[in-house]
Amino acid sequence: MSLRSTVHAEIAAVAAEQEKRMPPITDDLVMLETEFDSLCFALLVARMEDLTGADPFSEMEADDLPVTVGDLVALYDRAAARKAA
Amino acid sequence: MTEIREGRLVVVTGASRGLGLAMASTLAAEGFRVVALARRPSEALEAACEVAPFGAIRFMAADLGEIDALQGLVQRIKAEHGPVYGLVNNAAIGTPGLLTTMPAKKISELVHLNTVAPMVLTKYLARSMMTAGAGRIVNVSSIIAFTGYNALSVYAATKASMIGFTKSLAREVGRLGVTVNAVAPGFIETALTEGMDEAERSRVANRSALKRLAEPQDVADAVAYLMSEKARNITGTVLTIDAGSTA
Repeated sequence: MSLRSTVHAEIAAVAAEQEKRMPPITDDLVMLETEFDSLCFALLVARMEDLTGADPFSEMEADDLPVTVGDLVALYDRAAARKAA
Repeated sequence: MTEIREGRLVVVTGASRGLGLAMASTLAAEGFRVVALARRPSEALEAACEVAPFGAIRFMAADLGEIDALQGLVQRIKAEHGPVYGLVNNAAIGTPGLLTTMPAKKISELVHLNTVAPMVLTKYLARSMMTAGAGRIVNVSSIIAFTGYNALSVYAATKASMIGFTKSLAREVGRLGVTVNAVAPGFIETALTEGMDEAERSRVANRSALKRLAEPQDVADAVAYLMSEKARNITGTVLTIDAGSTA
């Protein structure tokens, strides 16, 4: 499973568990415009850390905050590249 | 000892002596597995590890003041011991001193170890509880957080911070099945109160409703209760253990 599909799948799983209705998850989906709230986001970060060992939010500056699902995927891509380096 | 217990895992900070050691031993006796964090082991902790059923207490060296190392520490705990169910933020320093003469460095040190470190450790350990949909966090505050005591203003501020932290975090993670509570011990016979002389001890004991000081075991029992299934509907609260000295 690619990092992109992992992020998409985990967003869908967290949303389902937390009973949040989500539109189809695509890279250009703006997360703030969905029901995916801050707690869902925290849960997603925790799960992604378990799955990938990466936590891009521990190192980043506030203005890096992801707006779209694609931004989030890019953050994890960069974290994975840093980890591999 | 090769036999390993299968119980839920609880991390206790500052577990080499005093309250933390009593908590580790009591939680082990109540069926939990315990990771006992401290900068270095003590003879008393090593003895507790020896007698704990099924090797239920494991020491792990950690300097919680090294904030940047806490995420790695949590990853190590999870890798070596599995998912974490509970956390007891007990480690603290009790440096006394009048505020007006306390070096700024000491003030920072107190806030760093007593407030910042438990918050960051909780940040990373709570993730394990959130993904499991269950967990327990117990923060050790103090009656000094709400009564006041001469020459403990900075310590008091750090202990009051644990209460604010407890209540708001309880709101944050409650939906995911994680409870967050605080215990507020009164003066208890530990290394932290060694600075008090006999007259001061007697004065504190006489002021309490029960005319005695609470003991480390009383606090450990309260923590074990909050960690247990019996406390599943208790969150965001502060349990005072002081033999009635603030009654």
